[in-house]
Amino acid sequence: MTFDVPSPTWLDTHLYLEIPEIREPEAAFSTPGSRWRATLNQTALAAILPWLQSEYAPTAKVWRSGALSSLWDAVNGTAITFDGLRLVLLPTTAIEADELRVPQEWVDLPSWVADYYLAVQVNIDEGWLRIDGYTTHQRLKAQARYDADDRTYNLDATHLIQDINVLWVTRELCPEETLRADVATLPALPLAQAENLLKRLGNPAVTFPRLEVPFQLWGALLEHGGWRQRLYELRQGLPEQWSAQQWFQSGISHLAQQLGWSQMTLQPIAVTGMRSAPSLESGWRKSQSQTLVRGLTIAGADYELLVLPLEGEVSAWRFELRPVAAEQMIPAGWTLRLLTEDLQAFPNNEDTATETISELYVEVAVEPGEGLVWEVNPLPEDYDREVLRF
Amino acid sequence: MPSRQGLVEIFSTFLQFNADRPGRWIADPRLQRSMQRCLEQSPQTESASFWALYWHKVWQTQEVPSSQLAAAHITAYLQEVCYWVAQRISTNFASQQSVADLFQTAMAKVHRILQGFNPQYSANLKGYAEFVFSNLVKESLRQSQEVDICTDWGLLHKLGKKRLVEALQNAGLSEKEVAAYVLAWKCFQELYTPDATRKTRKLSKPDPATWQAIAKLYNAQRLSQLAAPSPEMPPETLEKWLLTSAKAVRNLLYPKPIVPAADQEMGDLIDNLPNVQQESLLAEAIRQEEATLRQTQQQQLTELLTATIASLEPEAQTLLQAYYGAEQTQQQIAKQLGIQQFHVSRRLTRLRKTLLTTLGQWAKATLHVSPTSDVIEGMSAVLEEWLATHYRHSTLP
Repeated sequence: MTFDVPSPTWLDTHLYLEIPEIREPEAAFSTPGSRWRATLNQTALAAILPWLQSEYAPTAKVWRSGALSSLWDAVNGTAITFDGLRLVLLPTTAIEADELRVPQEWVDLPSWVADYYLAVQVNIDEGWLRIDGYTTHQRLKAQARYDADDRTYNLDATHLIQDINVLWVTRELCPEETLRADVATLPALPLAQAENLLKRLGNPAVTFPRLEVPFQLWGALLEHGGWRQRLYELRQGLPEQWSAQQWFQSGISHLAQQLGWSQMTLQPIAVTGMRSAPSLESGWRKSQSQTLVRGLTIAGADYELLVLPLEGEVSAWRFELRPVAAEQMIPAGWTLRLLTEDLQAFPNNEDTATETISELYVEVAVEPGEGLVWEVNPLPEDYDREVLRF
Repeated sequence: MPSRQGLVEIFSTFLQFNADRPGRWIADPRLQRSMQRCLEQSPQTESASFWALYWHKVWQTQEVPSSQLAAAHITAYLQEVCYWVAQRISTNFASQQSVADLFQTAMAKVHRILQGFNPQYSANLKGYAEFVFSNLVKESLRQSQEVDICTDWGLLHKLGKKRLVEALQNAGLSEKEVAAYVLAWKCFQELYTPDATRKTRKLSKPDPATWQAIAKLYNAQRLSQLAAPSPEMPPETLEKWLLTSAKAVRNLLYPKPIVPAADQEMGDLIDNLPNVQQESLLAEAIRQEEATLRQTQQQQLTELLTATIASLEPEAQTLLQAYYGAEQTQQQIAKQLGIQQFHVSRRLTRLRKTLLTTLGQWAKATLHVSPTSDVIEGMSAVLEEWLATHYRHSTLP
């Protein structure tokens, strides 16, 4: 990009980064506004992540990388994680840079809270973006003004730390500085209420779903990855994407594939189980059976979660966690756990390794249409809840 | 522009423009009285920069109205530096905005200077002001160029809610009207956007179907989002509102002259100020220990930064010289150094990080302060001012 006249754009001391290319997101979005929001976020990410990785944080990664469409359809902002910290990019096309507007979701949802918030001005026409400054969660909570109409925390530009270098230098010289303020957990959302909300907000005619119901309800719905995904799908008019039976019959949905699900054929193996199964003592896998599989990274190593129907049982399934590499094992203390859709425990819903072990598994009987959420402790990298439907 | 004579004048008069040319100095009698009184209390003759630091201290440590009074004195003091910055940048960048406009824009943000200046590490308020004004004027110029180039519809995508509300209030709309216009703008933004092929700047008027959708959304949302009951609006009205909004935003870029900062209600208060605190501050400022300590620190800082810069690669030194000394644009620098334009920004940021780290370590080790973000942020401003002054040796006449 060149200019015919000297442009004052290039004279200030903010950091400018080149926008690699403007790409329209491939996914569907519920309004032109949310589609544009996705474009801006994707663009900001494409420029900032490589810069961050090359100059300050080689390990920087996108947070919830598989679920960005469902995030952007609901709210502005993209989070990046590095060195155990979270940083939210907040792109805007506004040129005046007089305030940073942070959606409440990034400030008040316990699982979304970040350490840093970056004000990013995107000029699509000229192909650059500018880092206008940053703040921390702690400062945001103390200094920002809450706008109830938009549910945003707005920080006046005079309170923004304009020089992005302050972030890196403070990290280095004063790592003990408090970055986050406390936030309260939201009340749990019972299944019936969640279903009502999904029905109501899943209607794409509701243009501003995040402002439609009280924040506590909206926040609890959004924080649950499986429900947020369902909300996104409903708003795009998509049919059920998470039915395990359907995946077996007609292939895994595109959305689930993006999140890492695939199908594979199990090789027959010898029964290892001296241990008693926590639940059903019934059938073992048949030889050459098909299984659903999802790759996971836990504590830096690769594992996979297998989901397969139990032989002879109409509606009984086995969830199994195992390492990918033959020499890898599951350390003592790890747990594989199943929960109901609204995150309630049930009898025999988990398996914990009492010693180093080759696999963890839970077998469970399900009602038709029932949803299950799986989790592993310690949490897999970039873990987001998913609802598998049976 | 006639130059100001004497300390009283420097701290109590404001520049008036005749069209785009600097005219005469207008005195504020209250500020005159206040300054005269201070000079009477001072046992020895002090320089203008001494008084600038004194007023900054008053501003920092005292409550209203003393702090307001101090801000007004500093605003008077910074008139010339702001004028020269506006004049220089207007010439360099063939600005559409007049020098008077740029001057007013920058002066309106004089609080940034009051807030950002750190007397602990710098004795040069004027130098710091030059640096901040220069950034403010450039920023204002950049924004007005962008606004001039945009269609009304594009412009509505290039502004934030705060600016819009400010513009509508400035245009004289009532609170209720502002809320309705802002809602109309939100509906517009949600339903009509640029895309990969449709440039923001060239965004054209929405088609009738889109207007229908915007009106439908507005009419549904007004029930829940507007505090005051508001009637249903046809698409034509919303179109009119949005055009009015765009116009109000354009108008906002051409600021009205500022009334000298000491306003009416303040006048009486100033005349009856219990002067005890100010007197003790003055006595303190005149005492030499503090000044000597500061001088030592500032000298250390200069030595440290000079040494650090000398240890940098020659290319890095050239880059700093070109950017801070010659005030070249990054694109000119890129051409000169044979690197890509975006690399200039990244390299400058990296260089500043090196220098800022050095300063932070020095503060931690020498001044025994904990290098929190507040402290490092302050250091960042000190660094910018130092670089600007060091390389430019002041371009002021």
